[in-house]
Amino acid sequence: MSELKTTVQSIACGGTGGDLTYVDSKDGKIVRIRPVHYTDVYTEAELEPSLWTIKVGDKEFRPGLKSQPNCFALAYKNRIYSKNRVAYPLKRVDWEPGGDPEKINAANRGKSKFKRISWDEALDIMESEIRRVIESYGPYSVLTIGEDGHRESKNLHAGGGMHSTLMSKLGGYTREVRTPDSVEGWYWGAKHFWGSGCNKGLGMPAPPQTGYNPWHVLRDISEHSEMIAFAAGDWELTQNYASQMWSRLIKFWEECGKEFVIIDPFCNYTAVCHDTMKWIPILPNTDAALDFAVMYVWITEGLYDKEYVETHSIGFEKVRAYVLGEDEEGVPKTPAWAAERTGIPEYTIKAYARNRANLTTASVHFSSGAIKGPYSFEPGRTHAYLLGMQGLGKPGVQQAYMNASLIGKETIARSTSAPFSMANQCRMFYPSEQKIPRTMIAEALLKGHAEWYGSPAIVYVETSEQFQKNTYPTTAESYATALGTASPEMARAQGKSVEELQAAIDYKLEHMPKFSKVHMLWSEKPCNMNCWDGGFRFQDAIRTNEVEFFVTNHQWLENDSLFADLILPVTTCVEDDDMMGGSMVVSLRSSAITPPGCDKVGESKSDFEIACAIGERFGVRDQIDMGMSYEEWRQFEFDNSRLGEEITWEQLNENGFYFPKQDPDQDALPAGMYGFYSDPEANPLDTPSGKLEFWSEALAANFPDDIERKPMAMWTVGGPESEGWSHDETLWGERCKDYPLLMVANPGRWRVHVQGDDIKWFREFETMKVEGPDGYKYEPIWINPVDAGKRGIKAGDIVKLYNDRGTLLLGARLSERVIPGAVVVNKGSRVDPIAPHIDRGGAANLISPENQVSKNCRGFAVSGYLVEAAKMEQAEMDQLKKDYPEAFERDYDPATGVNYKSWVVD
Amino acid sequence: MSKVFYIDLQKCTGCRNCQIACKDEFCGNSWLPYAAEQPEIGQFWMELTEKERGAGSHVRVSYVPVIGAQTQAIAAYAPEVLMEREDGLIVIEPDKAKGRRDIAEKFAGVFWNEELGIPQGCCGCAHLVDDEESPIRTPRCVDNCPVEAILFGDESEFDLAGAERLDPQSSVYYKELPQTFIAATVFDPDAMEIVEGAVVTAKGASGTFTATTDRWGDFWLKEIPADDYAVTIEKDGKKKTVQVSTKDEDQGLPDIALV
Repeated sequence: MSELKTTVQSIACGGTGGDLTYVDSKDGKIVRIRPVHYTDVYTEAELEPSLWTIKVGDKEFRPGLKSQPNCFALAYKNRIYSKNRVAYPLKRVDWEPGGDPEKINAANRGKSKFKRISWDEALDIMESEIRRVIESYGPYSVLTIGEDGHRESKNLHAGGGMHSTLMSKLGGYTREVRTPDSVEGWYWGAKHFWGSGCNKGLGMPAPPQTGYNPWHVLRDISEHSEMIAFAAGDWELTQNYASQMWSRLIKFWEECGKEFVIIDPFCNYTAVCHDTMKWIPILPNTDAALDFAVMYVWITEGLYDKEYVETHSIGFEKVRAYVLGEDEEGVPKTPAWAAERTGIPEYTIKAYARNRANLTTASVHFSSGAIKGPYSFEPGRTHAYLLGMQGLGKPGVQQAYMNASLIGKETIARSTSAPFSMANQCRMFYPSEQKIPRTMIAEALLKGHAEWYGSPAIVYVETSEQFQKNTYPTTAESYATALGTASPEMARAQGKSVEELQAAIDYKLEHMPKFSKVHMLWSEKPCNMNCWDGGFRFQDAIRTNEVEFFVTNHQWLENDSLFADLILPVTTCVEDDDMMGGSMVVSLRSSAITPPGCDKVGESKSDFEIACAIGERFGVRDQIDMGMSYEEWRQFEFDNSRLGEEITWEQLNENGFYFPKQDPDQDALPAGMYGFYSDPEANPLDTPSGKLEFWSEALAANFPDDIERKPMAMWTVGGPESEGWSHDETLWGERCKDYPLLMVANPGRWRVHVQGDDIKWFREFETMKVEGPDGYKYEPIWINPVDAGKRGIKAGDIVKLYNDRGTLLLGARLSERVIPGAVVVNKGSRVDPIAPHIDRGGAANLISPENQVSKNCRGFAVSGYLVEAAKMEQAEMDQLKKDYPEAFERDYDPATGVNYKSWVVD
Repeated sequence: MSKVFYIDLQKCTGCRNCQIACKDEFCGNSWLPYAAEQPEIGQFWMELTEKERGAGSHVRVSYVPVIGAQTQAIAAYAPEVLMEREDGLIVIEPDKAKGRRDIAEKFAGVFWNEELGIPQGCCGCAHLVDDEESPIRTPRCVDNCPVEAILFGDESEFDLAGAERLDPQSSVYYKELPQTFIAATVFDPDAMEIVEGAVVTAKGASGTFTATTDRWGDFWLKEIPADDYAVTIEKDGKKKTVQVSTKDEDQGLPDIALV
């Protein structure tokens, strides 16, 4: 045992760290990964000031003295040493640098294999290609993909955005903007109801007065809520972003006698494992209909907070008229009306409405379900309306979500989600003069231009930004719009006078950069086809000659990397010399020194190191690493944080980790939206009126002709494109005649989005994969026995799931956990292309809609759309094998699935 | 003193950290003389079993972590392959058990390692329990459990009266193993309202069990023995009886109209 070396690590599949782990290693190789017992380092008395407490009556809930790492962290040895790791730089065998259409073989992306090359050759290619495209088209021809989004938790070594940092030193780049995934419905809908919300733009409620931070939400729910309503998300699954502490919180709530209801097409992992859960199965993406019926019951039976609505909101009368059928449409949204649409019996809808009204109810929302569907702004708004009608901010009437999951508040805390210290040098959330929303890359590449409203970055954008029109490529007009005109606020923010600022803007206008279309794609998060929408179309787009060079930095050989020309091998977080704590969805927030826990795998380098190495070729390395060693970086990070107020640099290094102390004055912070509830005049929202806006005059004024997103929520089913609709993805249109099933493509229990699909130990779980008769481990399609029976599908069959966008091959898992009429295929299984628009890996988002949320809302729609399922007959499978032999001849290991050997030639 | 595992299934959420812990500890690591490397896949010294139960809107999954090899039945059958211990942990020593495929065939939770020619199974992480310098002194599955559903210690530390076991010689105790359930929503078809407060009585050979419908109109007759039942639902003079069997499976019944 004494030979073991132990390091602290913060392993998680999101950017903000996880519950801490100890990594034991021997001779540079990991032996085990385990929870940290805090008392190994600190005494209980030393820990006490850092531990939060929730008290309900005589019951107490505390973080515990042992970390509760997420399941991915505990299995990470398997991920680090995966058979799918990229250990060396790889080049596609039939691609040559230079941009010659004859030599790039663009159409073979996702088909031809790779060969190992040296780092020297890889860097030569990077240097020559960057120089070539800059000379030919200008630096804006480089699209940097993946500055933000889910990835490993790293700090200095970054998980995205280092390419943007480097390109910013070389003259500029086109920014790929992460659209508001996970929160679409809130972002495009609820922001117009309750303001820009958390992180000034996420769309979930948070008071502007606390810097858009929702403090003490879970505590308030614990103390005051009698019922907790879960919709659009799975608590047990989502906590794995960073920790497994929330399982304990539910048990605590159960002990406190709380009641629970889960509205979901799928009897999700929270519903099945806690005995107190009431599951109400609902047809996918019909949540708005349910909510309108709830409003109907509340209005007709006087079950909502009329006084609150009177004093805290505007425009309610329009919603009231719509719900009661006293408007032009004249259709009362009764429980019977909703029952036809949602599949929920009328009596259950009434019970739901009355129970929510009679019990103080909090709402819990995560990143799934209707909130990610076509027209998600409707359920986003109706969910918000329900909270508004029950007095949002009243004790116990709150919305819980990821960024509102912090318990307690540390003295040195900056927000409910930010880390205590940062050394990150990547350009994340930085504006660029040319940009493309992540959802519109395919369109931009295929059509050469794109237009949209809003940035639409996931955070730090006010609601009004959704009214700004943007274009790609940037034109003189859109450049001027983006620069804006000098305002006193902007001048003050930049420390300039208004005149100075205007002069600076004028100068920029006169010296407008040379904008051009993109011709080089550089991705540090190569999963657009699988994480985002319209994946097959994205594949089409990157198979064109427009893309002369596609390079990815990634740890594993998967997804977009299979379509790349060059792949640069990246270290995992455990291999890096870094300083990374945990700051969101963890049981106890920490700061930690995280030195390498093992040797690097192969020749991998971190994204930071890759940017430095390429920067060296261009003579800008010192602008990236500042000439500092990792040790110096860590100390620089510490010195620039407030950690020094509580612990010395030496002590932190000795202890390895530290939990900042709880703020003794934390009770002065209002719980969630309580400030607005108690005094809306003193604590206004950042909506135009400062109040909840059931009817948004701003939407009415800016989009008077929008037939899809109206100024207030409606029951919107869409229709044919010829009539101006973006979607016909419901059971009440035309396309459902061909595709009668509704697809639910929520994140999976055993992956975080696309991460973890290769974990051997997970792939043995019966809910993770289904072994087909051919020995291939297919992604499960969860289908109700009724729907399976109609189609002659039996458990374990290979199923083809298709619509007019393509076909996925899946393995049948018959289950009562899914409502008849819907099928569940968790998003994120790795792609395994057979041919264009046919995939064996079962990556759900490949067949998701290509038209985003709606015409004026360019977020993604990746769940709640139409599909049809059929048993894959042997003859059809044989034909595929005959037509595409190379796809079936690739190496395949059921334990890992698609792997390095599948795609790399010796 | 005998070491036992004590598992509270009410706390278990099916996260499978226990199963992962075992893989993490033994795959790629050899802890001789306690255990040789576990193959990367295919062996489950600690296996979380799951069973989907019910139908319609009344569905649950029961999770049961199973440690098959910690049974004194192995000590009775093949004492010669075991490490001599006073704490009752079953440790099949690789050196002593070479070629003993019969043990793997006889006991669930013991697996045959074709490559090494040995039977393998849970050793209670005895290599950690015994090592005073080890940073952890409990089995990994216990340490990994985030909800403290799996406990480990001396027999005397636990209240084992009423605890159940999957095999009578096992050292793995469960606070309550799953039985069966009958559940449904009761409604009034004239008013199209759920019926709260209806009294539900299930009579079978194993006994009579009662429940009351809640604010959703639901009743859950939970953890009742598998049997044939006559289930009667009554309220305000209205009464309905249905025949239900839980012998083959749990019953999430279609919604029941009380007329």
